[in-house]
Amino acid sequence: MEQISPYLQFRNVTKFFGDVPVVQEPFNLSIPAGQFTVFLGPSGCGKTTLMRMIGGLDTPTSGEILLQGRPVGEPDIRRGMVFQSYSSFPWLTVRKNIEFGMRFRKDLSFGQKKDRAEHFLKLVGLGDFATSYPSRISGGMRQRVAIARTLAADPDVLLMDEPFGALDANLREDLQFELRKIQKNSGKTTIFVTHDVEEAVFLADRIIVFGSRPAHVIADIDVTSLIGAERNETVRDSERFFHLRTEILHRLRGRQVKAVAA
Amino acid sequence: MTAVASSSRKGSGGLFRFRASIPQSATLLAAVTGAAAFLGGWQLLVSLHVVAPVFLPTPLKVAQTFIRMCTDGSMLPNTVVSVRRVWLAFLLSALLAVPLGILMSGYRIIGATLEPMIDFIRYLPVPALVPLAIIWFGVGESTKIFLLWLGTFFQLVLMIAADMKRIPNEYFETAYTLGARPRETLLPVALPAMLPQLMDSMRISLGWCWTYVIIAEIVASDSGLGFVIWTARRFMKTDQVMAGVIMIGLIGLVTDQCLRLLHRKLFRYQ
Repeated sequence: MEQISPYLQFRNVTKFFGDVPVVQEPFNLSIPAGQFTVFLGPSGCGKTTLMRMIGGLDTPTSGEILLQGRPVGEPDIRRGMVFQSYSSFPWLTVRKNIEFGMRFRKDLSFGQKKDRAEHFLKLVGLGDFATSYPSRISGGMRQRVAIARTLAADPDVLLMDEPFGALDANLREDLQFELRKIQKNSGKTTIFVTHDVEEAVFLADRIIVFGSRPAHVIADIDVTSLIGAERNETVRDSERFFHLRTEILHRLRGRQVKAVAA
Repeated sequence: MTAVASSSRKGSGGLFRFRASIPQSATLLAAVTGAAAFLGGWQLLVSLHVVAPVFLPTPLKVAQTFIRMCTDGSMLPNTVVSVRRVWLAFLLSALLAVPLGILMSGYRIIGATLEPMIDFIRYLPVPALVPLAIIWFGVGESTKIFLLWLGTFFQLVLMIAADMKRIPNEYFETAYTLGARPRETLLPVALPAMLPQLMDSMRISLGWCWTYVIIAEIVASDSGLGFVIWTARRFMKTDQVMAGVIMIGLIGLVTDQCLRLLHRKLFRYQ
């Protein structure tokens, strides 16, 4: 990308909830278009708040967040969010959930919306469950519904808040594989929040490792240059994957130990 | 070994194991047995002259009176009158309470303005307001509707506000990041998300309406089931009093079951 200004940028961002600092030190970060960035860190370290601020669901106490050079404001369709829980609407069928993603798009005709819904239904492999309600399908499928719904809205930035956090291990790996593929095919700039190191390494082009609250960056890791862009089960079992995972774990632990000692 | 152990445990505590489930047949049998024991005990009280029949007629006598009153035109027209009052007042309550409850919860400032007032009013006992209602509305239909409305509206508004508050924030935030403005989420997100709870709240307040309609009809009416009961009391017709009460119970039971069925049908997705 020959962009001069970064696609997404945090500029001296701080965040306090009342007197409680979540991000105390001014936070700066530039994210190029199309990058899969993972915010990794322990629970309550402020990574989710930072991501929510991209979505406009929280606002910085000071500083600003720029998307394509312009400050982000209230939430809008350009920044789509997928949550860990309550991610799909239980009163809508799978297809209606996905169609909901386009409900507020005025540029599409009724027919186009139907077609797009069908496309994303197939993309996430839920064609056979189009008329099922979320309570009748598995947790993994529910997360696929949410991902398809957000993709159908066609946001510039995809924000994901531990979307696979409640799933069991096997399912998680499958979804990670699919998400990575979908992200690369769509080229959507993606911010993914997790506390799971392996998940972070498998998904990310780049990992921002956070220490405990108030949020501060321990490491900024270019994953692609270390383990390549291709991600599959072979890569997951490879030595370089294991090494990177271990190194990040050590860094997280070292930092936490220090924090306790201080 | 294990089979023996488990079967012996079933044999000993059986139906009386703490928090354990029981077979469906046992549930039915228990209900029938309970009711039969109640009616039998009642019959016995009268047969053994523990209580005089003028104070407590036998179950059979009450049943006979109930059927007679249903056929001779003394019960059914009055039932219709009461049902009409209950539903009219209930719909009036619901129609106002639903939007106001949603507004109170959606906009904190509206909630902060109204909640203390409503909290106060809802603790005012309806019977204490009867004189005021009569002064304002006379003894016509509007007095009863007003009293019923008074008794349910303020409770219902707070319940609806609470139902709205319980909707997970994620639903709204998802909609925002799909391009919805806050007020655009009311119909497609807030309403369906709270509807199951909302229907339950309405079902409960419909039950209260029945309490208040009887009070209103006893104090200020010449029709309705409350009037039937109160008139019967004046002539010591205990069997008619009880028949009237049973009618109210039956209507309550049938309405409740119908609404539950509707709930199950509507919210099959849950």
